[in-house]
Amino acid sequence: MTDDVMRFFAAWMLTHEAADEGLKAAVSRGDAAGPGGMSGGPDAFVDGLAALVAEEKEKLKAALEARARGEEPLDTGQRDPALDELRFEVGEMRGRLDAIEAQLETILRTLRG
Amino acid sequence: MGSRERQITLTIARRLAGALPAARFGLAPGRVRRAAWARALRRSFEDLGPAFVKLGQLISVRPDEFSDELVAEMESLQDSVPPLPAAAIREVIQAEFGADADALWDGFDDEPVASASIAQVHRARLREAYRPVWGDVLPAGADVAVKVVRPGAEATVRGDLAIARRMAEGLVRRRLVRRVDPVALLDEFAESLDRELDLRREGRFSDRFRFDFRDDARVTSPRVVWSRTTARVLTMEFVEGWRLSEIDAARAAGVDCFALAVHGATAFMRQVFVYGRYHADLHPANLFVTPEGRIAYLDFGIVGYLTPAERVNITQVMAALVYRDAERALRYSDALGVHVPADRVEAVRSGLGRLLDGTTRADGTRDFAHFGLGFLRLLGANGVAVPSGYGLLIKSLATVEGVARALYPEIDIVDTARPFTTRVLGAAMGDPARLRERLPAALRAALRELTA
Repeated sequence: MTDDVMRFFAAWMLTHEAADEGLKAAVSRGDAAGPGGMSGGPDAFVDGLAALVAEEKEKLKAALEARARGEEPLDTGQRDPALDELRFEVGEMRGRLDAIEAQLETILRTLRG
Repeated sequence: MGSRERQITLTIARRLAGALPAARFGLAPGRVRRAAWARALRRSFEDLGPAFVKLGQLISVRPDEFSDELVAEMESLQDSVPPLPAAAIREVIQAEFGADADALWDGFDDEPVASASIAQVHRARLREAYRPVWGDVLPAGADVAVKVVRPGAEATVRGDLAIARRMAEGLVRRRLVRRVDPVALLDEFAESLDRELDLRREGRFSDRFRFDFRDDARVTSPRVVWSRTTARVLTMEFVEGWRLSEIDAARAAGVDCFALAVHGATAFMRQVFVYGRYHADLHPANLFVTPEGRIAYLDFGIVGYLTPAERVNITQVMAALVYRDAERALRYSDALGVHVPADRVEAVRSGLGRLLDGTTRADGTRDFAHFGLGFLRLLGANGVAVPSGYGLLIKSLATVEGVARALYPEIDIVDTARPFTTRVLGAAMGDPARLRERLPAALRAALRELTA
């Protein structure tokens, strides 16, 4: 039983290690292939995707390290998209109110005139 | 037969009769004959006014339904008509706002800057500052473009449409048309026209577009002045610059047209693959280059929409182009509503294979228009109905490719799409529902590998 468990974890570790090595190789191939890489076929596509994911991982790592050091997250010049969306919706509503106000003024002018 | 109906019939008949010598009275070879009829039809549409000009524009985006010659002719249809006197435009403004144009704006210019079948555009200046939905405040005195629906345009268009529909029903009843369903086409046209006649929709899309590209300093769209906007009058920021059709002037002024082509194509891919809503009426007159080297998108009369699932499927069709995988193109086109009947699958698959083989140009770049438009034609020839949204997107991508290649001949539109399509497919791969569906098979495959 103990042997089975050990073999299971060993197999798990081996799979993990092989997958990790495979991923690293895919990232390096994806980086090397550059923008035209996708045309190489499905494998090249996966390599390209791995390279994009690796880029995101580096950004995430930098952000987590900065947070661990008690620093403010890096300012990437990007605002919170949800907040922007809300501001846009408020702006749209203001636009609609402006249009409605203009229509009301038109009705008043017509009634007066 | 009413007088307008008679006028329509006579105009088309006169133009077709005029084309008889060019078509050698029907004895000219197929292509020459079709080109002569197509030219005559285009000219008669120009004679017949707004409804027919717009109908022609709709035909130009349906290569699956109409011949190459007719599509090419309708692409060259000029939506430019003699301007109406300013007094007629001022009357519309008076009716919409209950006030004279001079009371609403400073320096309303009676000389129009553009005059098309549905609307006419005049330049004016803002009387007071205006805070738009998104972006900096437009200061008092800022130049604005005032777009006004031509008086009577709506009634004329709707009247002509009703007549055209009756005539189309007659053609269908007498079985004079087989490949095209003119009644369905006209119904689709009526829907698109409803959207175009209400200028507020265009304004809302311009706002949305500006917001979507808020992080991109090189792409812009006009800010809308809602306090001076109604269904028939749209006031927006005046964009100074050159139309893409006047690109030589922009180049002479030092604008980097190569960078512009790449960035313009990328911006379009972002509209399609990130936001699922895109400017579907892109032609050189609707794209401006500003003196600062920005691309300004104008005239959002026709807009295409894609659901997240459609974005994944269209991405897969593009991947099929890259991998020259006809099976994949068919499978994902089916998911987009292109249903090939079982007895036509083999013919379509082999035709598609030939198309995919001929997609790479001598310089190694891919010719999307060759593939996309060829695919639509292939489907049409095999009697497969193409959903209008699918046709519109393919045609738009082909147009973007054409516009970009005019500026930068070596551009590969499929490569431009790559970062976006990769992300779309990546996100689809991580979708929990898909993972749940595929994980058991993936685990089985992994175990098979491990135990092999």
